[in-house]
This record gives sequence, structure tokens and C-alpha cells, in this order.
Amino acid sequence: MSRHAQENLVSALLIGLFALVLYLCQDYGPRARLIPLPLACFGIFLVVVQIIQHNFGREDERPAELIHVDTSAITASAEGKPRTERTEEQLGQWGEAGAYLIVALLVAMIFTVGIFPTVFIFTAAYLILTQYCTAVRGLTYSAVLTLSVYLLFVVALEMQPYHGLLAGWMS
Amino acid sequence: MIDAISAGLFALLTPQALLFLSLGVVYGLVIGILPGLGGVVAMALLLPFTYGFETAATLALLLGAHIATIWGDSVTSILFSVPGSAKGLALCFDGYPMTKQGKAKRALAASATGALLGGIIGAIFLALCIPLIRPVILALGPSEYLMMALWGLTVIATFSEGSLMKGMTASVLGVLVAFIGLDVVTATPRFTFGSEFLMDGISFPVAMIGLFAVSEMMKMSIRGTPIIDRSLVREDSTVWQGICDAFRHWWLVVRSSLLGLWIGVLPGVGASVAGLAAYAQAVQTSKTPERFGKGAVEGVIAPDATMGANEGGGLMPTLAFGIPGGESMAILLVAFIGLGIVPGPEMLTKNLDVVFSMVWIIVLANIAVTIIGLAITPWLARLPSLQANLMVPMVLSVCFVGAYATRGRIEDVVVAAVFGVVGYLMDKYRYSRANFVIGMVLAVMIERNLHISINLYGADFLMDRPIALAMLIFIVVTAALPFWRERRRKRAALQAGGAA
Repeated sequence: MSRHAQENLVSALLIGLFALVLYLCQDYGPRARLIPLPLACFGIFLVVVQIIQHNFGREDERPAELIHVDTSAITASAEGKPRTERTEEQLGQWGEAGAYLIVALLVAMIFTVGIFPTVFIFTAAYLILTQYCTAVRGLTYSAVLTLSVYLLFVVALEMQPYHGLLAGWMS
Repeated sequence: MIDAISAGLFALLTPQALLFLSLGVVYGLVIGILPGLGGVVAMALLLPFTYGFETAATLALLLGAHIATIWGDSVTSILFSVPGSAKGLALCFDGYPMTKQGKAKRALAASATGALLGGIIGAIFLALCIPLIRPVILALGPSEYLMMALWGLTVIATFSEGSLMKGMTASVLGVLVAFIGLDVVTATPRFTFGSEFLMDGISFPVAMIGLFAVSEMMKMSIRGTPIIDRSLVREDSTVWQGICDAFRHWWLVVRSSLLGLWIGVLPGVGASVAGLAAYAQAVQTSKTPERFGKGAVEGVIAPDATMGANEGGGLMPTLAFGIPGGESMAILLVAFIGLGIVPGPEMLTKNLDVVFSMVWIIVLANIAVTIIGLAITPWLARLPSLQANLMVPMVLSVCFVGAYATRGRIEDVVVAAVFGVVGYLMDKYRYSRANFVIGMVLAVMIERNLHISINLYGADFLMDRPIALAMLIFIVVTAALPFWRERRRKRAALQAGGAA
């Protein structure tokens, strides 16, 4: 999908969102909707103007890439060693899907096995799978991070850790 | 008064008080750097340890920790664009671009020095103004607070470069997100879809962790390069440059400090508004406003000076009326009860030595934070050049733990993830994340004060409140000034081009 079409899609989604706010405001009293209602109308107005500017008027934005990529970083080499950054072609939709997947996986792991096991497993897996370091080093770094986070949040700040759904099912 | 000033200082010169001040400062710096946790958490966790010690020592521990969290917040805002709490937001606007340009040391040093000068100027003016401030506070009401919040909104135009429509849309979205939860005025659940969790609203720190930290880590995982690639951008700034910057812009520091003191004095306004208002005045009074948002050192100095002075101002209503100037001052009030101190007008007459002890604590804590801050700045400045594959898992893990720790609710982890994706998409399609958060921070204050103003004075409340009207005129003029200057500059450039 072209950048132009994506921009229009985002605008359409925003109009839908503001329309939903308008619809929900109908259930509230006059004081509770005093600000949200006119604000949603103003939001729709802004997006419509944005759509008109984008499709028919002067484009006042800088041309934007999907993701800003510093191409010089790809070709440059540090201390004579070949660089390991991914090429621009590799950074497109697959890279984006990977980023969404990382966040989704992290949240799913927290819900399943709890916070601190997730910190250890996720960090170790990321360090090892991206070949940042060897397996032994990855596990050591993860253990140090998990222990530090545990000491700070649980011991020093007295946070009650979340143990995950798995712990609930097992007990 | 001289006796009270010296008695306040001598009360602090005991080994216990000095030890507690040092402990508070170090503890506050660590808490401030952790995402999602700020001065309120730092002080709340210290409360159980405050009973049975000297009054000055206890106050040194609490206030020292609170003051140190301010600079701790600034560190993560400048280095990673991750504000630890809402008040650190303004530091992201120019601090992070400076880091990306290889000026992290300069930004951190300017921030620490700005906060020190702000704290000292704020404390001096607080000491001088103690007899005068009481009638001024009583003269202001919700209409004037509404105008203060509206002033904070005027920075929106600064971050809408490219498309003002998108910038304003982002602010509207931010305001609407802030309305999720139970309406404070009518007790109506709004946009909660029957969810009990959403009744409490969206937590600001969690939303900011998502919008800034999670989305930045998503970007970094896609690019595979660190925030700063040292083979392309060298760290060519020094700590000394940052210190000099703060002194060179002394007039901005003075203005920002007085603004911080003033906002601190107003009960319930808070440091998050102070940082944004300071940034707004720095942009609006600059001869080169176009540099802001791209790494202008003034954009770092002004918010930090304001937040440094804000704490002194916040003490005023807390001590004089028992009305907390902000959330952290509310916790200080609880500590007062434990210490047997009764806030009220008598604090400014009979217990003036305790008041001046607190003024001295602010000064000494600021000095300690700055010394430690300047000493560790060279090491802190190296953090953004860490490899992406090391940064992403570590920062993401700490961010999600921080999101959970904010309220101890697991749903906040989902909120941080959702806001992370939203922040990533906003950045991709150039809807300003800064404007979104500004809208979120100011929305509740605007709504609450608008309702109270209408209730008290009617729909045309501005006619009954001349100070609020004058403030509105001032806001309109200062908001229009950069546009007018820009137009004049373009016209002059056009004329020069025509003449050539």
C-alpha cells in the first residue's frame, strides 16, 4: 500500500474514532459531555481539513519515509569490521511485524509466566537469538538484569510481583 | 527573620541530618531514573522510615529524595526520550535531539546546572516573598488556574512542524484519552465500556512509558542501530559547555525560576504544567523559536530551572494553609502529622525556623544533586551508544516492570503495550506524541477548573475575573508572537530576495 493510501486510511480511522466518541457522548449528561462532545466535533473537522490538504491541496509536510533509515550507517564500517545492521530492504514490513511481535510476545509471556521469569527468558532469548553474545554470556547478563530489577522493585520498593496465570493453574 | 534563617541552617548541620540528606539524594536519583516512578513514589516509600528521628533530618530525607527525582527524570528524558513522570516530558523536546546530535554531556550538564540555579533562585525568592505571598494566593481562583493550563497548551504549535492539523489532532486525541474513567465533576463513567480497570483512568506514567519508551525500542529493534552510532555521530560536547550554557542564559534561568516558583505557589497546578509552561515561555521569548524541538539548549535549561524552583513554591500553600501544592506535598503533609507539625498561618510566624530549614534543604539537596549529576554525566552520556540488541530487551523489560509497578495492576502492562504501538504509529505518520501527552496532562485540569469557574461565576466568568481575562490576553499575545515573528522574517527574506 502506498504512503498516500496509508495516510488516508489513518485519517479514516481517526474520523471513525471521533464519531465513536460523539456516539458515546449521547449517553452522558450535559456537564459530562461539555468538553468531549465539541472536542470530538473539532477533531473530525481537523481530520477532514487534513484529508483535503493531503489529497487536493498543498502538501505542507516534509516527504517522509516509512521508517527513517540512516543509509550511511549501513555502508560505514567501524574499526575495519563489517557492520551487522540490516539492509534497507530488510527493514520494511517484516521488521515492523517483528517489532509488533516482540511487544505482543513480551505481554503474553508476562501474563503467562509472570514478570520476573519473563524478564529473564525474554532478555536471554533476545541476546542469544540476535547473536549479540554467546549463550553463556546471554544467560549471565539476563540473570544479572533480573536480579537487579527484582532487588530494586521487590526488595527496595516493596512491589508485589505478578506470578502469571500458569502459577495460578499449577496451584 | 535573620534568626529564623540561621536557626533553620544550624538545625541541618547535624550528622544525622546531613547523612539523611545524602541518603535521600542518592535514593531519589535511582528512583527518578526508573521509568514510571517519580517523586511521589520516592516520598511515599520513605514515610515509614521517618518516625523517631530529628525533625530536620526527617525533612532532609523526604525533600532530598524528592528533589533528586526531578533530575533523575530529566536524565532518562534527555538520553532516551523516556520521561520518568509527567514533569520530565518537556525535557524530551530538546534534550533527546541534543543526545542524538552527540551533545548528551552538554544537555545533562545544562539540565543539572539549570535545576541548581532554579532551586537556589526559587529558594531565595521564596524566603523574600513569604510575607507577601499569602494575599496573592487568596486572590487567585479556578479561572486563573484554567488560564495557566491553557498557557501550557500553547506549546502545541511548536511541535506541529510539518502539519499543524496533525499536531492539533494529536492534542485532541490526548485530551480525549485523559477523559477515560470516572468524571471528577459529575461522577459519570466515560469511555470505560463497562471495564472496572478503566474507571480509574489511564495512568500518565504508564501512557508515557508506552508512547515514548516502548515505541522507541520498537523503532530501534527495526533499525538495529543504537540511539547514537558513534562511528557517525561523535560525542563532541563537554560538561563544562553545559554549565556555561546555564550561566550564559541567566535571564532565561531567572524568568523560568520565577515562573516555577509562581506555579508551585498555586495549589494543585503541579510541576508537569510548570515544565510545559516554562518551555512555552522559552519558545515564545526566543529570538530564534525555530531552533526549538531540534536540540536548543534553552529548551533543556528552562524546564529544569522551573522544576527546580517549583518545589520551593509548592511548600508555600502546604505550610501556610495546609493545602498541598502538588501530590508530593500531600505526602509531606502526612509526614508533618507524624512530626507533630501543624500547617497553617502560624508556620509563617511561630515556626519560621522549620520553614527556613526546608528552604535550606532545597538549596543543599540541589547542590548535592548537581555535584553528583555532573560527576556521573560522562558515564551516563555513554548509555545511548549501547548496541540496539542489548538495549531493546533490557529497556523493554524494565519498562514493563515499571508500568506494572506504577499501580500494581497487570492491566497496565497491556496499556503500556497498546500505547507503545500507538506511539510507534504516531511517529511513523508524524502525529506529534509530545502534543498527545500535553493534551493528556492538561485536560483534567482544564475541565475541572472550567466547571468550577462556570459554577461560581457563570458562563461569562471572564468578565468577573479581571486577572483571568488579563492572563487570557497575555496567552493570546504570546501564542501569536512566534507566528507574527515568522511572518515578518519571511516577508523580510522575500524583500531581500526581490531586492537582490
